[in-house]
Amino acid sequence: MKKMLLLLLLVGALVLMFGSYASAAEKLRVGCECTYFPFNYRTAEGVLTGYDVDIAKGVLDIIGADFEFVCQKWSGMIPALLANKFDLIVASMSITDKRKIKIDFSIPYRISVGRFVGKDGANLNLFNADGSVNEANFKGVKVGLERATTYANWIEANVPNATVLLYDTSEALYLDLRNGRTDAIMTNPMKAFLRFLSKDAGKGFGFVSPPLDNPKIFGTGVGIGIAKGREDLLNRINSALKTLIKNGSMEKYSLKYFPFAIHSEKWEGVE
Amino acid sequence: MTFDIYLIFDSIPKMLAGIGMTLHLLFLSSFLGLILGIIILLMRISGRWYLSFPTFAYIYFFRGTPILVQIFVIYHGLPQFEAIRDSVFWPILREPFGCAILALTLNSGAYVSEILRGGYLGVDKGLHEAGKALGLSTPHRFIYVTTPIAVRLAIPAYSNDFISMLKATSLASTITLLEMTGVARTIVAQTFAPYEIFIAAAIIYLVMTWFLQRGFGLFEKRMSRYIKLSEA
Repeated sequence: MKKMLLLLLLVGALVLMFGSYASAAEKLRVGCECTYFPFNYRTAEGVLTGYDVDIAKGVLDIIGADFEFVCQKWSGMIPALLANKFDLIVASMSITDKRKIKIDFSIPYRISVGRFVGKDGANLNLFNADGSVNEANFKGVKVGLERATTYANWIEANVPNATVLLYDTSEALYLDLRNGRTDAIMTNPMKAFLRFLSKDAGKGFGFVSPPLDNPKIFGTGVGIGIAKGREDLLNRINSALKTLIKNGSMEKYSLKYFPFAIHSEKWEGVE
Repeated sequence: MTFDIYLIFDSIPKMLAGIGMTLHLLFLSSFLGLILGIIILLMRISGRWYLSFPTFAYIYFFRGTPILVQIFVIYHGLPQFEAIRDSVFWPILREPFGCAILALTLNSGAYVSEILRGGYLGVDKGLHEAGKALGLSTPHRFIYVTTPIAVRLAIPAYSNDFISMLKATSLASTITLLEMTGVARTIVAQTFAPYEIFIAAAIIYLVMTWFLQRGFGLFEKRMSRYIKLSEA
C-alpha cells in the first residue's frame, strides 16, 4: 500500500514537472494602459516599462510563462479581461469589493497608504518613534487635505480634533504647504513624490510620518486581476509575488521609480 | 440614477453650519466695500486728475476681471513673494478668510463706487443751483442735498450688487473656507449626490435672497417717502 502511494506520488511529481515544462511554452497576455507613468508607460524610445511592467515580468519569469503586453483603455479593462483579450490585468488596479464580484485578484503588489508631508526641520513630531499617533502634537497644527479623499476618513478616525483645511486640487494643496498656510498635508506618498517632493517646488519638504496603512480606510491595495475560475494560475501568481517580496526584487522595482518601497511586507495579513 | 427628495431636507440643517460664514463674508466685505466705494467716488468726482486717475485704473481692473481670478491672485499669487510673507500683512493674507474678505471688498468697492456715481449724476442740476443760491457751501450741498437723493437713486442698483455679493461669497469655498457652498461640496463628496445637495444649497440661497430683496424694498420705500407724499 505504501509502495502504491509512493508510486502515485512519483507519478504525480512527474506530471507536475512535465506540467511545468508544458507551461514553459505557456503564453500569458497582460493587459495594461501603457500610458500610466510611472507604473505602465512607454519611454521616449517606445519601450514599455514601469512598476507594473516590472512586476508582470518578474511574476511571469518565476512562473515560467512567456508574456505579451496588450494596451487597453482603462474604462474597458475588466470587460476586455472577461472577453479573453488578455489573461491578466497588471495595471495598478485597486482591489475593491465591487471589482471582486467580476474578477479575482492576487495578493497586493502595491499598497494604498497615506503619509504626511511637512517642512524639513519643523519638528512637528506628529508621530511617536513606534509609528503611533502623537495626538497632543496635532494641536494647533493645520493639516491640508484634498476634499473627498480617504485621508479625511483617516483623520476623522485617528485625530478627530485636528484642524483640517480642504483643497480641491493637489496643486493648491502643495502651494499652501509651501506658503506656510498649512503645517502638514496628508496625501498619497507616490503622488506627493512625483508632483511635489521631486520638483524644485518641493525642496525643503519631506515626509513627516511613516507610511500609514489601514486597509479599512485606504483599501487593500493594488493587485493582479484575473478571470474567475483560474485558481491554479492565481495560486502560482500569488506564490511568485511572495517570492518577489522575499527575495527583495519588489523593493528593487519600487526604488527604480520612488525613493521608498511601495509594497507591503505584511502580505500574510491580507487575504 | 435615483433622486432622493428626503436627502434635500436632510442636508439643509447640515448646510446651515456654513450660513454663519456666508453671512460673515457678505456683511463684512459689503460694509468695507461700501466705505471703499465712497472713498473712490469722492476721489473720482474731486475734479483733480491725480485723485481721479487711480480710481479709473482700480475700477477698470476690478470690474474687468472675474472675482475668482482676483481671489486666486490674492490667495495663491501674493504669497509667492517672500516680501509679502515677511510683511505685516501676512497674518491677514495667511488666513483664507482674510484673503476672501480682501478680494470681495476690493471687488465690491469698484462696483459700489460706480453705482453711487450713477446716483450722484442722477441728481438734478437745478438742486445744486438752488443750494448754491441758499448760500450752502460745497460740502454742505453734498451732504444735505446731493447725498439723500443720490442714495435713493442708487438703492435698486446697490441691492442688485449686494445680492451678487451673496452669490460671490460661494467662491470662497475654492480657498478652503467652509461657507455654505463649501459645506455643500464636502457633503457631495461624501454622499455622491450632487443633485440633491446643490438643490438644497440653492434653496437656502433663494431664501436668503428673498430676505435681502424685502429688506432693500423697505429701505427704498422709506427713502422715497417724500416722493410718494408729493405725488399723492
